[in-house]
Amino acid sequence: MSAIGSTQYSEDEKRWAQLMVSSQAGDDAEYGCLLQEISVVIDRYLRGRFGHHDFVEDCVQDTLMAVHQARHTYDPCRAFRPWLFAIVRHKAIDALRAQRRRDVLIDSSATEQLNELEGEASEDHEQQISSGRLINSLDQPYREAIMLTKLIGLSTAEAANQLRISEGTLKVRVHRGIGRLKKMIEAEPV
Amino acid sequence: MKPREELIAALVDDLAPVKPVVNINGRALLWFSLSALYVVAVIHAMGPIRPGAFDQLTHNGRFLLENLLGLAAVLTISIAVFRASVPGLGSRSLMVAGGGLMLLWIAMYPLGFISPTLEPSMLGKREFCYIETLVYALPPIIAGGVMLRRLYPLNRVSVAWWLCLAAGMLPALYMQLACMYEPSHILRLHILPGLIAGLIGAAVVWAWRRRQGQTPK
Repeated sequence: MSAIGSTQYSEDEKRWAQLMVSSQAGDDAEYGCLLQEISVVIDRYLRGRFGHHDFVEDCVQDTLMAVHQARHTYDPCRAFRPWLFAIVRHKAIDALRAQRRRDVLIDSSATEQLNELEGEASEDHEQQISSGRLINSLDQPYREAIMLTKLIGLSTAEAANQLRISEGTLKVRVHRGIGRLKKMIEAEPV
Repeated sequence: MKPREELIAALVDDLAPVKPVVNINGRALLWFSLSALYVVAVIHAMGPIRPGAFDQLTHNGRFLLENLLGLAAVLTISIAVFRASVPGLGSRSLMVAGGGLMLLWIAMYPLGFISPTLEPSMLGKREFCYIETLVYALPPIIAGGVMLRRLYPLNRVSVAWWLCLAAGMLPALYMQLACMYEPSHILRLHILPGLIAGLIGAAVVWAWRRRQGQTPK
């Protein structure tokens, strides 16, 4: 980290800790300021690791709600970042696990058109997702399994069919992939 | 207004002063001490202690070590589980240390099949020691659950497992003094109910979270 970056890092740390202390005392202006600032940081953190995807916004909002519910557990004598990022990491992995296939109700006459659109959307998604550093650092089998089921939103059967593997194998890859992501994200310094 | 800004505005509106949680180790020690005192008191109240058990504790080094290992395991797990209920304060190494101590303690009993710490005997046998172990663990589990719910455990299933295990192992540990000493009896009727308490706790929280539609973690 450069000297300027290091100074900025410690200034942010001090300011956020101070804002949180004021928030714990009930100062809503300071609280609003804190939530605005950390929402940008969380957003950047998640997009850097998982790519630009809809679930990131959901995850940012889940994290903000968690910060709100857990604000009494922040101890002013401790650093703010480890407390915040423990929540962020947990919410990110939780959100990824909870991703379900998007239910699309389609009219049979529009199937073909929709398939084309989904094909384009999938390519867009893959391009967006591929910018996620953490996802990219996974081994190919795990990366593909997570991208297809958790980020693009295919069902287990569809994804298994596309990868030409059994559904059981796919589930194992998804499970292990998420486990690896969790380890990687936990090992990162905040 | 974007949804995120709306959410922030709503959270700011909902803001109320809160008292920050400090001295988490102190809370853990408080729970551990009160639970241990309660377990000792209730076991003494519900039946006689094995005759000569305290003499064995002071005169047999290995028996003392066995019990100290169990006590250290429960204490370490208690501290680890309270710390794991505050974001950023959980320590994997502390949890591993607690689990390791517990394994070491439990391993003393299979070892007793070859070389028993005390002469196996039926002296002091309590008729329903396995039920006592499970039932006496309940109040510490409830008290711990109430204390931890006021914090913010991120991995609730894991926290429930460790808390219930610690609570279950407290009566299991004291049964080494209160009930008969025989390795197979200890493993089946003291240790196993303690483990079952942990499993039940984890299963209840897992099912509850699943019912709520949350990822069971």
